[in-house]
Amino acid sequence: MTAPNSAERRVCWDSRDLLWKCLDDNNDRAESCQKLQNDFEAKCPAQWVKYFTKRRDFLKYKERIQTEGFSPAEGPRENS
Amino acid sequence: MLALRGLGRVLLQHQRMSGCSVGVASLQPLPPRPQTRFQSGGPDPLSSGAKVKLRTRLLVSLLFGGGLLGAWAYVHWEKQQRLRRQRTDQLRKVALGQGTFSLVDHTGRRRTKQDFLGSWVLLYFGFTHCPDICPDELDKLSAAVALLDRDASLPPVQPLFITVDPERDGVPALARYVKDFHPRLIGLTGTTEEVKHAGRDYRVYASPGPKDQDGDYIVDHSILIYLLSPDGLFLDYYNRMKNSQQIADSVSAHMRSYQRL
Repeated sequence: MTAPNSAERRVCWDSRDLLWKCLDDNNDRAESCQKLQNDFEAKCPAQWVKYFTKRRDFLKYKERIQTEGFSPAEGPRENS
Repeated sequence: MLALRGLGRVLLQHQRMSGCSVGVASLQPLPPRPQTRFQSGGPDPLSSGAKVKLRTRLLVSLLFGGGLLGAWAYVHWEKQQRLRRQRTDQLRKVALGQGTFSLVDHTGRRRTKQDFLGSWVLLYFGFTHCPDICPDELDKLSAAVALLDRDASLPPVQPLFITVDPERDGVPALARYVKDFHPRLIGLTGTTEEVKHAGRDYRVYASPGPKDQDGDYIVDHSILIYLLSPDGLFLDYYNRMKNSQQIADSVSAHMRSYQRL
């Protein structure tokens, strides 16, 4: 299968941006953006859909860390 | 303003007498006594004699101030040069790209590292099925080359794209891909072994991910733009945080200091 060309990339990125804007406006409630989600999955290769979904999760996680701070997990407790 | 310059001059006279050298930090507000000494000029401050003396003092102050500024500017420039040279020396020690590579370009012509000696090269490793990073970086690379093209005094830069996905990125795939970027961009591919050899030369990390039901996969890889000098040495690198203007500025700085050598 051939790689998307410049125009196809742009179409995919635009649909991703619309989807992400919708998710931002709806507090990440996937149900409200189902149509845009379907559009996004149709316009982008499956690998890219997976990649961009993971990327969004990462960006949200990063934002949370930067605003709420990071609490390291507790280590194993020693038996006294 | 006048009083300050005068203060500086009076201070200079003070320092000379005590045999110290004047530093910029010494131009600070002094206790009132020297100030009154300056302001009580001659007996008649409006006489032409006093006016001439004032002009001479102004001139000397300006020259002195100008001299200080010039000295500071020179020291600052020299420090920048030194830092740049240190960085280049460090990168030279890392000695990336010492070997040769033999690859095929997007027109099917075989190219080796020798072919690019004599030109400045901006090199990027990526793959055509890349979702967003490679197109972004190649756009940035193309923009940087375009900025450098505008300066007629600089030699032309050769942009290169080497694939980390030789399995899918053959000559036709590369040809399709590179035409979306700078017209001089050359795409390079080869057998798995040839590509791996080139990547190893530049310590490029590349790891194809798992294939999905369409046989599609993403290649995880290090994201860097490498600058090579005309004698094939690795001189500098630019990560995702550098924009095209910063890259162009850095390349032109390297070019200018390189020519002087």
